[in-house]
Amino acid sequence: MNEARLSKNDSGQEQTVANRLWEQKILAKIKTDKLTPKPRWQFLLKNYVVWIFGAAALLIGAAAISVMIYLFIYNDWNLYEQTHKSFMEFFLLTLPYFWIIFLGLFIFIIYYNLKHTKRGYRYPLYLVILAPVAASLILGFSLYYLGVGEQIDDVLGRQAPFYDRFINRHVGFWSDPDEGRLIGLVVSPLDNNKFILVDRSGEEWLVSISRLPDRAASLVILGQPVKLLGQRETAAEFEADRILPMTPPGHGFFDRFDSHFQSPQPPRPPRLPYQQGGPGEF
Amino acid sequence: MLLLDKSAAEINKLTDEELVKLTLENQDIFLYLMDRYKQKLSNYIRRITNANQEDIEDTLQEVFIKVYLNLNDFNDDLKFSSWIYRITHNQVISNHRKLKARPEGYAVDIDDQAAKNLAADIDIIGSIDIQIVKRNIFKILDKLDEKYREILILKFLEEKNYQEISDILKKPMGTVASLLNKAKQEFRLELKKQNIKF
Repeated sequence: MNEARLSKNDSGQEQTVANRLWEQKILAKIKTDKLTPKPRWQFLLKNYVVWIFGAAALLIGAAAISVMIYLFIYNDWNLYEQTHKSFMEFFLLTLPYFWIIFLGLFIFIIYYNLKHTKRGYRYPLYLVILAPVAASLILGFSLYYLGVGEQIDDVLGRQAPFYDRFINRHVGFWSDPDEGRLIGLVVSPLDNNKFILVDRSGEEWLVSISRLPDRAASLVILGQPVKLLGQRETAAEFEADRILPMTPPGHGFFDRFDSHFQSPQPPRPPRLPYQQGGPGEF
Repeated sequence: MLLLDKSAAEINKLTDEELVKLTLENQDIFLYLMDRYKQKLSNYIRRITNANQEDIEDTLQEVFIKVYLNLNDFNDDLKFSSWIYRITHNQVISNHRKLKARPEGYAVDIDDQAAKNLAADIDIIGSIDIQIVKRNIFKILDKLDEKYREILILKFLEEKNYQEISDILKKPMGTVASLLNKAKQEFRLELKKQNIKF
């Protein structure tokens, strides 16, 4: 193809190219600089990357929701009167803020990615926000029912730094012996109404359940975490008024204290599955 | 090659989208696309920036080179004209500081129908002398915020519909509609401020 050909009209006459001089200069620049259109795959790749990041953010957001549901369900709803001044205080203090912020961040990433898809700008703002929220919720509930929330909590409990302070504040809340709350792992068999419990810092406590009915002993199971309400007697002794099995969130965290089961004690027994309305509380 | 069988007149009859496909096979065809859009885009840039001719041509050159480099990114999802206006809009934004306004003000002529449409839409039809409307339109547009000025220009002077404006500005159609309403309100306010009687 040459320019002469381009400049011929229907009757084969030469068209004036004077008014195209400017355009021809640009075309010449394109040729001189050897410019070529960027290959299609580059644009496709960019588009796929946006979608893949969006989908990954959706999955992570949904996983956060599944953990939130898991924490929400086992939130000691029946105990708030004994541990907090009001339901509202209990509710606000036990909200999983870490997961809420985490979810917010990932919903923003999904929103950002949706907006940057080829047609993202065509959708109204409310739709671009509501769609990822709705999709995360639906997927989050599905993941919860598949047990993903529990598994994530378990893995993070075993490995994540600051798990007890930020990720599952339930553990932190129950680790306040001066306020009469203690949570930890039973690391010795019950002996004369007393047993040894390891708290979240790895400190050992001698816990007495002498004020509790005899059947409370059924909750003192070697290798199982328990929650206690009572009074701190000395720096390392606690008198329990109530003993409760620990709800599942945070169980993984107490796996960190396996070293307390070294010989001459037997190795840590396997974790028992939590049963709603199981051994109860005393 | 397919192109060798076509005369200039035949090529001129092709749609923009067909020209894009042909340009990907033969870069000389890009001349026709530039030819089609040079004046339109030049007017558009002048209307939204009031820049001088030299700056307009520099911007336009950057626009056409970007269009050429990104031809493979264009697809039939939107009209080619919306796509090229979008690239121009973005280029104007990125050249914003460089573009120098001409001291003599706007000088792009508006056709009578566009002026009538704007006047009717803004309810300033009354005892209208279309020449007065045309004389004053840019005086008022000049005082408006850029976002209002541009949307009014796209709607009434470039005669783009909502879908096209949405594609050019990359905003949802609802936002385009409300922005346009607000722009018309601002236009009326400025009309009062400047005490212009139609």
